[in-house]
Amino acid sequence: MAILYKLIPHLLSWLGILLVLLRGFPVRRTVVTVTGISGFLLGVAGALLLFRAFQGATPFWIIKSSLGVGFLCLWGVSVATVYCSTGRGAMLLWGERFATGSLSAGAVTGITAIVAGAVSACKIPGADGNALAYMALVLSACALTGLAPLLEKLLPASFKVSPSGMLATLVALLLFSSSSILRLDLFSPLSMKVMKGIHDFVHQFMESILIPDHLFVRPVVWKYIGFLFGKEVGFWGGIVIWFTPAILIALAIHFERLPSVAHIRQGAQRRRLLAAAIRERRYRLFIPALALLIFAAAAYQSSFPSVEYWDPKPLPVTATPSGEIIIPKRGEVDLEDGKLHKYIFKQGEREARFFVLMNPAGELTVDLDACAICKPDGYGQAEGTVICYYCKTLIPLETVGKPGGCNPVPVPFAERGEGVVIDSMTLINSWGATVKATVRAKEGAK
Amino acid sequence: MKRLIRTILAAASSRGVPPIVVGLFFLIYIGIAFFTDETLIALMALTGKSVILAVLLALIPLNSALRLLMETGRFLKKRKMFKEKATEAIPEQFDEMVELPASPHFAGLERRFAAVGYKTRRTENALAAWRGFTVFPARILFLAGTFCLFTGILISVTTRASHRQMVIEGEPMPTPEGIGGTVKRIALAKSNGLILARALTIEVAPSYSGEMDRIFGIYPPSLYRGSFVYPRYLGLDLLLQFSAPDLPGGYLKHIILNCYPPGKEDSKTISGSPYRIVFTIPEPEPSSDRYISYMARDKTLQFKLLKGEELLFSGSAPVGGEFARDGYRMAFPEARRLVVTDYIGDYGVFFIWATALFFFVAAVIWLPLRTFFPRKEMLFRYDDSGIMKAFSGSEGGRRAHAGIFHEALDLLGAGKIDTTDA
Amino acid sequence: MSSAIIETNGLTRSYGDICALKPLDLLVPEGEWLSVMGHSGSGKSTLMNLVGGLDRPTSGTLRVGGEELLALNEDGLARFRREFVGIIFQQHHLVPYLTAVENVMMAQYFHSVPDEAEARHALERVGLGHRLKNRPGELSGGEQQRVCIARAIINSPKLLLGDEPTGNLDNKSTVMVMELLKELRAEERFTVIMVTHNQEVAAWGDRTIHLDDGVLVREDRLKVEGKAG
Repeated sequence: MAILYKLIPHLLSWLGILLVLLRGFPVRRTVVTVTGISGFLLGVAGALLLFRAFQGATPFWIIKSSLGVGFLCLWGVSVATVYCSTGRGAMLLWGERFATGSLSAGAVTGITAIVAGAVSACKIPGADGNALAYMALVLSACALTGLAPLLEKLLPASFKVSPSGMLATLVALLLFSSSSILRLDLFSPLSMKVMKGIHDFVHQFMESILIPDHLFVRPVVWKYIGFLFGKEVGFWGGIVIWFTPAILIALAIHFERLPSVAHIRQGAQRRRLLAAAIRERRYRLFIPALALLIFAAAAYQSSFPSVEYWDPKPLPVTATPSGEIIIPKRGEVDLEDGKLHKYIFKQGEREARFFVLMNPAGELTVDLDACAICKPDGYGQAEGTVICYYCKTLIPLETVGKPGGCNPVPVPFAERGEGVVIDSMTLINSWGATVKATVRAKEGAK
Repeated sequence: MKRLIRTILAAASSRGVPPIVVGLFFLIYIGIAFFTDETLIALMALTGKSVILAVLLALIPLNSALRLLMETGRFLKKRKMFKEKATEAIPEQFDEMVELPASPHFAGLERRFAAVGYKTRRTENALAAWRGFTVFPARILFLAGTFCLFTGILISVTTRASHRQMVIEGEPMPTPEGIGGTVKRIALAKSNGLILARALTIEVAPSYSGEMDRIFGIYPPSLYRGSFVYPRYLGLDLLLQFSAPDLPGGYLKHIILNCYPPGKEDSKTISGSPYRIVFTIPEPEPSSDRYISYMARDKTLQFKLLKGEELLFSGSAPVGGEFARDGYRMAFPEARRLVVTDYIGDYGVFFIWATALFFFVAAVIWLPLRTFFPRKEMLFRYDDSGIMKAFSGSEGGRRAHAGIFHEALDLLGAGKIDTTDA
Repeated sequence: MSSAIIETNGLTRSYGDICALKPLDLLVPEGEWLSVMGHSGSGKSTLMNLVGGLDRPTSGTLRVGGEELLALNEDGLARFRREFVGIIFQQHHLVPYLTAVENVMMAQYFHSVPDEAEARHALERVGLGHRLKNRPGELSGGEQQRVCIARAIINSPKLLLGDEPTGNLDNKSTVMVMELLKELRAEERFTVIMVTHNQEVAAWGDRTIHLDDGVLVREDRLKVEGKAG
């Protein structure tokens, strides 16, 4: 069954989640198993309900937001962990209470399982007519839930899970699971937001301390400042935000203070205790390290998605003597088939790439194959979205034709008779202005 | 009541305050991002307007100030402790604290410590040993820097006022509150600075008796009548004389051209006529600086004359010269240098500069001390009940120091210390 | 009445057809100094290796410090050696390019937490406080053996094994080393098993067993005045 193959990353994540939870709540195995499977089923059912209740991107937005909230929580916990482990005052004991409480075990397991179930359900296309696929998902999840306690017993005893390490791994596994679904992916939009955030921040910072404009500054110095305005800054900034929580948790464990052994009057025994504490600390580092690896896998999957895009070769078009480009609705290509149709128009030295697409509302749109903020790398079409190749931002088909952000820049057009009519001058100028603006912005002008 | 105040103080000076406040602002930032692309600007504006957010932000400098006081107090207490004043030792200031029954025979111990490079101070019933230097000054500078940074941000977002003005050679210096002294000269020259490539100077004559000549540079910007003078772009103030066959009355007016650097176009529409003139500064010789050359030498301007969308002709004329063709006449009797300048009323800038200084000095102190001369200290105190209290701590948690401490305790505990004075 | 630290039942060790140790029943009370005597090839070193966890018996049971050594895997055996046993050999096995204190710290590394102060202290206890920074080549035979003793006691073993520790030493040095061991034992209360073929050295112990061809042939309990401590 092809669908089972597609579900492998999600099922693997689910198994990982169960193993980590079982090890993280060693005295609450029943709670974890029962809440786990119920939560997963609830998540699948919830996703189905969402798909029925809302059209378009809303269900994805809701699930993606819950992932985002989880990631933010991880950030909060990681910072708190660092503060606790470096403080000289009394260490927080909530970690122990957390690991043994049945309420915390139930809550963490339940929430994680619901999200995991919902994410997995998103992989199955269409809410209707896929009952078999849903059945396969649910049955595999149940089987894995039964298997997990047995597998967990095989794991070495040294595989220790701290509460913060557990949270890091759970979030990492959920993000790994979601990163293979374009519309749930967090990493690429994060990079985009980070790029904008850093640009704004650097600009505001320079304004606030009255740094002079580039005309007064040495070009070599400006080059370094220019890096902050470059395109890579979004990717690297995204990487930093993506990995920092797990790194912070690892550092917190690494810098945890060793127990005081000053009361022991025998050197060997002191060293034995310290060595044991160091060894135990080292074992606890394993989980954040694993989380880092999973985060890396998620980022990789997001940056190089294994989705095939619909990306037709642009067809050359020409203008009539009066400067109009006319594309028949039903000629060689069917403009109203809901797919992206790319064209290229050349006028002397200048050229412009654009596409025609019928959105899910049944309206035709004509847009540049470029957006107002990125380099004009163009768009491809995947399920329910078009994707900007440059920044990997997904634009729901519903919003194609509307300006703003990384949406394709709309081009005015008219539907006349059986064709779409575009003014070639407007098209060329619009392309020129967009490309000029984005290329200049990327070259680091303040 | 006292308890309440103490609780509030403890909360306000907690190490957790800065991350919590920053975290909250980050959440607000994320919230705003759903509604606008200009998230940061919107957040700054919101903080400037909302008292709640301003107070929230103010918690950080308050926290740094309280911590600064608290940590200084603790440090002084600890110093006193090491100077053998009868101060109660605070176990939290040390890594390890232990009590053991032992007698105060410190002479041998003192020699052992000296042998491994520790300085010691001994009294009848106490021994202090230490080596290296504390990074406390760096910590204080760091806290002071944090205080300044967030105070600066708070002042900036709540009080910053910005006015854009044209500073023109020969004209009085405009300010948000009126006019100042006459601008004597605007000059742009090459600079050999590490960061700046060109130096701009604006010389302003006194505006009232007793005032001195003022010279404004690029960085750091100077204050003039309470505002920072923040030069942004260069431009020209051109006296344009223009007449055309259908505009016999002509046009004579100062116009402001934002046409720097050479090659950049700026256009001016002649009001009440279909004419528009596009100006550019011609590119200088390749060897010369495209900004400086034109600021320094006699000026020539290129122009294009358009009537509606139709290009009538293009040409160039030097300042002081004129151009005439087919009944059109264009003359540039005068051109003066101009700097588009922002007047920034914002004293938060001082705090942010101070932050940079504090953080820099803190880093310069912290790095070598923590790397090469970390502070390690021990304190042994004997009380009348026959119990020895021993404290030890090392900045950076060096284990070698803990080893020396433990060995000393072993010796004290076993009573195997050479008790004779050296 | 102190409990037994070593208890063997039918302990046997064969190498192919050769039986180095024939079924041996031995009980060593905690804190005892036991001397093991015998000719070359009598099985005394084999016994010491088995008791120290350096070798595994062919059959029989061997309980040391409450642990059934046969039940331990390699990791467990390594931990046992590290934390329970200190060994002094005839050949000192010191690292020639490390100083005395570094040689002692080498043994600490097995606990992964070196402590120079403690190593220094251990060398002071064996009377080498003034030779901390000397390399083995700069020390006399007796001094080298004392470094070995410092190294053997650094992890506070419950059981100290000596395999002809004074075999290479002159009489004066032998007496010094034995005196030192006696003092340390009084302080640390470890059990000593000393393999030797020197009657005088054996006499430092509380009890001597004689092995011949892998069989316990005789047992001497020494007079109280000969007892250590």
